[in-house]
Amino acid sequence: MPEHSGSHALDGQAIRAVDLTKAYGHADSPVYALRGVTFEVRWGERVALLGKSGSGKSTLLNLLGGLDRPTSGSLDVAGHSIARLTGRQLARFRSVSVGMIFQSFNLIHSRNAWQNVKLPLVFAGQQPRERREVARRALEAVGLAARFDHRPAEMSGGENQRVAIARALANRPQILLADEPTGNLDSATAREVVRLIREHVEERQATLILVTHDEDLAAACTDRVLRLIDGQLAT
Amino acid sequence: MRVGDLFGLALAALWQQKSRTAMTTLGVLFGSFVLAASLSIGQGVQDTIERESHRSDFLRKITVRSNHRGANADSAGKQVEVAGEMSDAKRDRLRRAIADHSPGKPVALTRDKLVKMATLEHVEAVVPMFWLSGFAVLDQQSQLASLAGVRPESIDCRRRLIAGEFFSSSRQPVCTVSEYLLYRWGLTDEASIAGVLGKKIRVELRGPGQQRGLRLVLDKPEGEEPTLEETIALEKIKEQLPKVLDFFPLPPDQSRLLRGMIEGKDASPASVVSEEFTIVGVLRAATPEELKEPWDPLRVSADLILPYETAADFYFRQQGTEERGIDHAVVVVDDERHTKAIYQQILDQGLTAFTVLEFIEQQQLIYLLIFGGMTCVAAVALLVAALGIANTMLMSVLERTREIGIMKAVGAGNTELQLVFVIEGAIIGSLGGGLGVLLAWLASMPGDAWVRSMVAHSVPVELKDSLFVFPLWLIAVTLAFAITITTLAALYPARRAARIDPVAALRHE
Ligand SMILES: Nc1ncnc2c1ncn2[C@@H]1O[C@H](COP(=O)(O)OP(=O)(O)O)[C@@H](O)[C@H]1O
Ligand SMILES: [Mg+2]
Repeated sequence: MPEHSGSHALDGQAIRAVDLTKAYGHADSPVYALRGVTFEVRWGERVALLGKSGSGKSTLLNLLGGLDRPTSGSLDVAGHSIARLTGRQLARFRSVSVGMIFQSFNLIHSRNAWQNVKLPLVFAGQQPRERREVARRALEAVGLAARFDHRPAEMSGGENQRVAIARALANRPQILLADEPTGNLDSATAREVVRLIREHVEERQATLILVTHDEDLAAACTDRVLRLIDGQLAT
Repeated sequence: MRVGDLFGLALAALWQQKSRTAMTTLGVLFGSFVLAASLSIGQGVQDTIERESHRSDFLRKITVRSNHRGANADSAGKQVEVAGEMSDAKRDRLRRAIADHSPGKPVALTRDKLVKMATLEHVEAVVPMFWLSGFAVLDQQSQLASLAGVRPESIDCRRRLIAGEFFSSSRQPVCTVSEYLLYRWGLTDEASIAGVLGKKIRVELRGPGQQRGLRLVLDKPEGEEPTLEETIALEKIKEQLPKVLDFFPLPPDQSRLLRGMIEGKDASPASVVSEEFTIVGVLRAATPEELKEPWDPLRVSADLILPYETAADFYFRQQGTEERGIDHAVVVVDDERHTKAIYQQILDQGLTAFTVLEFIEQQQLIYLLIFGGMTCVAAVALLVAALGIANTMLMSVLERTREIGIMKAVGAGNTELQLVFVIEGAIIGSLGGGLGVLLAWLASMPGDAWVRSMVAHSVPVELKDSLFVFPLWLIAVTLAFAITITTLAALYPARRAARIDPVAALRHE
């Protein structure tokens, strides 16, 4: 897919959401997880998304990451109008334009660290020799040089999350989406993971959306805070 | 995404579930094995029948006989009237029964028929076959001898030639004599056998004449046949018997009875046909090995062998043969492709005929049905194996829901995921199919030896080549079938995998 980052990229908006809604369940009795969310994020901006459990944070992040399509409203991310992308373009968008980190790591258990990290590179169609090198460097960058061939079960939670970060950054996406990345970690490990994320975002001038319910964390590493209450942004 | 990576992912998934992969592959392996084996022996047997039947030229020969039951009674007899109140169906049945029971006109294999068949296009020769025996006289010594006609081309006779030469034409006044006939004449040493060549032999066919009145038979002690002299002497007695009846010391009523039997009958003398032939060669008897060879309707064993047209001329000089015709004849066709057409034309003349071709076609059809059935069963076995694959893959799609969700989250497209699963199916298909063909090939060696020993026990035929064949098309068909069917089986699980919603997949932990 050609990188038609186009005019949106130039006018400085990494994300633009207008009246975004997302409904789950049957069409006749829908459950609204998002009810008309409108916001913009500039390139390079670091935004925290705060809200109680069930307020729609993950739903919004999944829309931003192209894992799901909005029920209504318009959403542009990294110059792509998510609603208008074909399935194929959406897959490409997920592997190249954004990187995602989840609370539960979401690593493939049967594959070792290195194989997990190179997966987005495989789907992006990178040369085997090239991607071996890229994955190695990504793992070194998160301090896991000694863990290449370890499977998720053979590593700690913090290490697992670092592998996930390496995987999210492997394709050098301009937007990083993190859904409660420290939710399953103890505070020391959490600090380490947050430090890593901040370091990489700063180094690459990447845009960051960090979902959390930790006010301190939000204040410490983001420029702006968005609050979700029952699927709506607090003003 | 690169093609190599699609295969890499498929192989990784298969490798991860080694025992499951092994089981499904084993299913395909056995299905393919049975398929390949049944195709192989089916083709092999067809080939063998084909090859064995081409080994000798009996496909070019048609045996023709007189039709004693009469030619097609239905068409010969006019429509019979059946009177009475009855349904048309019953009238029809009765009509047919009447036709079946009224004798048709028997069609004899007469000289005319032989000539007519010989003029058919693509007919190389019409060799009359008859059983003839007569007295052979050499240097005033007579022996009862059997007589037959053969083609000058006869390979069978030519290789049995131990002295002199064989005929060069189908009509010339020459003959060969058997080693055994010479022995009966007391000619045993090599020099006397060679001395016989070029000599003239006189052959007398003595028909019994009109089969009425008395018949005189000479019973000799060791069951020997009467000699020519004895036969002539008996005929003389029979001829003179009516005149000398009064000289027998018989009571008058018995004398009258005998006279009644003899007198008033047409006492035509025995018919005698006699001709001279020059001996050109001496033949030995066929060896037991030669007798084991494929059956040839033209093979004869007789004391005297003449060129077949000379033999026919001689035969037809006998009284009554013009109407009676001969027992059977062998029609030799120039090419086996024409055998069927000629066969049909002969039947159309009202004669009965037999050709091995017909028999072979029947055999081939039977084997085709047997092995066709086996192949169908094998195909079903493969289908069942494919269902197993579909089932197993569906299970693994469910088990791998989260993994598939993760792959989608990091950029896997639906088409690509679908392809990975389809390739998994294809890999199982080609692996199982390939191993199945290999196993069939390996098993065909002891299998062939086994079938061979069975054949050797029951039929005196020596099979030269294997009964199992593995032509390229067979390997290709088996592999293609196995791969196609496993790929199709993977299609549904693959679509299920592609339809997995990544958000839902990642939610359940
Ligand atoms: N797949 C789904 N089907 C039905 N309801 C859902 C689904 N995903 C989320 N929801 C509902 O949407 C709301 C928002 O969920 P979520 O975005 O996960 O919240 P958060 O991440 O802020 O805890 C919740 O009420 C949740 O029950
Ligand atoms: Mg959540």
